[in-house]
Amino acid sequence: MPKKKLRFALAGNANVGKSVIFNQLTGLHQHIGNWPGKTVEKAEGTLHFKGYVIDIIDLPGIYSLSTFSLEELITREYIATENPDLVINVVDASVLERNLFFTLQLIELEAPLIIALNQMDMAEKKGIKIDCGKLEKILGVPVVPTVAIKGKGIYDLLNRAIEVIEKKEIKPVTIKYGEEIEKRIRQLIEALKGLQLKYPIRWVAIKLLEEDEQVEREIEKLNPKILKLAEKLARELEKIHGHPCPTVITSERYEAAGRIAREVQQILPHIKPSISERIHSLTTHRIAGYLILALVVLGIFQTIFSFGDYTSELLSDLLYGLEPLFKQILGSGFLEEIIWGGLMEGIIANVTIALPYIIPFYLILYTLEDSGYLARIAFLTDTLMHKIGLHGKAFIPIMLGYGCNVPACLGCRIMETERERFLAAFVVTLIPCAARTVVILGLVGAFLGMKWALTLYIINLAIVFLLGRLAFKILPGEPTALIMEMPDYRIPHLETIIKQTWFRLKEFLEISFPLIIVSSIIIKLVEIYGLLKPLSQALSPVTVSWLGLPEITGVTLIFGILRKELTLIMLAALLGTTNFQSVLTPLQMFVFTLVVMLYVPCIATIAACTKEFGWKKAFAITIIEISFAILVGGLANRFLATFNLLEH
Amino acid sequence: MEVPLTALKRGESGIITSIRASSRWGRCWGWGFQKRLVDMGLTPGTKVTMIKSAPFNGPIEILVRGYRLVLGRGMAKRIFVEVQRCPRRSSGSP
Repeated sequence: MPKKKLRFALAGNANVGKSVIFNQLTGLHQHIGNWPGKTVEKAEGTLHFKGYVIDIIDLPGIYSLSTFSLEELITREYIATENPDLVINVVDASVLERNLFFTLQLIELEAPLIIALNQMDMAEKKGIKIDCGKLEKILGVPVVPTVAIKGKGIYDLLNRAIEVIEKKEIKPVTIKYGEEIEKRIRQLIEALKGLQLKYPIRWVAIKLLEEDEQVEREIEKLNPKILKLAEKLARELEKIHGHPCPTVITSERYEAAGRIAREVQQILPHIKPSISERIHSLTTHRIAGYLILALVVLGIFQTIFSFGDYTSELLSDLLYGLEPLFKQILGSGFLEEIIWGGLMEGIIANVTIALPYIIPFYLILYTLEDSGYLARIAFLTDTLMHKIGLHGKAFIPIMLGYGCNVPACLGCRIMETERERFLAAFVVTLIPCAARTVVILGLVGAFLGMKWALTLYIINLAIVFLLGRLAFKILPGEPTALIMEMPDYRIPHLETIIKQTWFRLKEFLEISFPLIIVSSIIIKLVEIYGLLKPLSQALSPVTVSWLGLPEITGVTLIFGILRKELTLIMLAALLGTTNFQSVLTPLQMFVFTLVVMLYVPCIATIAACTKEFGWKKAFAITIIEISFAILVGGLANRFLATFNLLEH
Repeated sequence: MEVPLTALKRGESGIITSIRASSRWGRCWGWGFQKRLVDMGLTPGTKVTMIKSAPFNGPIEILVRGYRLVLGRGMAKRIFVEVQRCPRRSSGSP
């Protein structure tokens, strides 16, 4: 007998333990991707339960169903038009009022609903007692108490969900607004009757009063007269209440949520601050907070890079150890060159750069996020990040960019809007990573002195600020500003963190592997067919005339796309010496390093950007940064030569 | 007395009277900005309590509807509140 298929969606605020519930339900049957054409993550999984095959989709964590962010739009489109069999609304029992505000919106959207009242343990610690039966009765929606991180209530939740579907017993109540609003909703419903709507009619009427842009556009297509009516009614409400109409409606909805919360919960005043609260005040303290932050950042660097360097070297030794074997089997010739020099070198680049750094990075990032410390970092660093047009949440990705741009780019997804994510990633790709540091210190630092190496870093910082601000001005959309819930500290759920890391790593490798291997083979082919010299010659107007570098550097810059430190290694190989002083003038060294520091991040970073933002934006970043590097390099060349600051 | 939210001292509470979207930021800071704040529960008439503000003119942390919310300073300045007197002193006055 074929199994019956069902589709469940998980919806709820951020920080309510939604991803833990998702992981508890789906185990290892997960697929992480993006929503079609969007940069918002889409996590899907399957589960077998009582003869059903249930597809579970984890909707983004959001606070409302308006059109503020992509996440909110995606969520309501999914619920309204894809018609999942059931929406599991994960509710944080310790912040009931704000969570119910979201629940009420799901009810208005007439979603088939069941509530997982999660984090009951945290609510209890805060002295909050909730009467689930009463809540169920008031909302007309089944309520199941859960403590997801301990696996409590998950089975009940599924059981109840199936029961609800089989009996079709959900009858949510209608949330009533004040009579003056209800009257106008009725008027709009009357006007909307007979139109082909993809959303529930009452919801459309309410959204029209809320001046929801997307709904307005849809109705304008059907009957523009209704918009006029809605606007007239909205102005009337504004006159009565003295606030903008969207605010009036939201206020009433919050009032309803507050009323329900007060009816079902009992709050015992707690006497002494909990441990979580004490850690909170310490980690946001004006002095201690920054000290702890500095220690944490140092600790993260230490962990990621000592682990990364060690593993990277180990893997590299291991893989390069295979070289003689390959040579033996393939002999030396075209095949060997392509397979070893192209394919294997590509794989090695991928394995030694990506894996050792990305795994610990993801583990740490998700631990920081799940525990709640990330929010404290954002709180402390917001002012600094505003200087480059970003806000506090961008601090961690940008700091980590100094280690490796790849995980830093992937980490930009903790930002809320697409614009913020892209801005942060753009800034990240300008940060000199460890590989670029090798070139800066190995060439300029070693031969011109630390003063000049430091100059490069200062130039870089200035450029980050300048370009960051510029991109902030140019990119369309809402300016960035921090609006963030400060979640209570909690012990992160290890299993969820490991799974989150694993599935995201898998997704990254699916994109980066082909890209790195293909480009590695292409470069090898160029080399085999003796195109390196012609290519260098073709580049000479840029490298020689504009940048004042030897012609051969053109090749090294091309190889640098694979791995930035290759520029230095190849330079030594092609010039036949590591004593760069004898073959390059100080000015050439400085300009060369400046260009290496600024031009496209390596292919792995481009892969990370492609994964996060699509190839168009990744390509745009690449082109912008190549042109910018050439521009700055050439200007530096002329400036330094004119003022004779460096021997040339 | 009506003051911007940022003027509240640590531990002081106020009732939100209005959110003033500034024209300095152009259309961007209009609808979306206000909607986002009210969606987070900062509706007129709501009580908010100042918990702390980050150094260097950083964001502020407030208590609203039973949870802690962090707001960038630029945004918090556009939210106006009626300061609530301390309970002890207010017992005599209306």
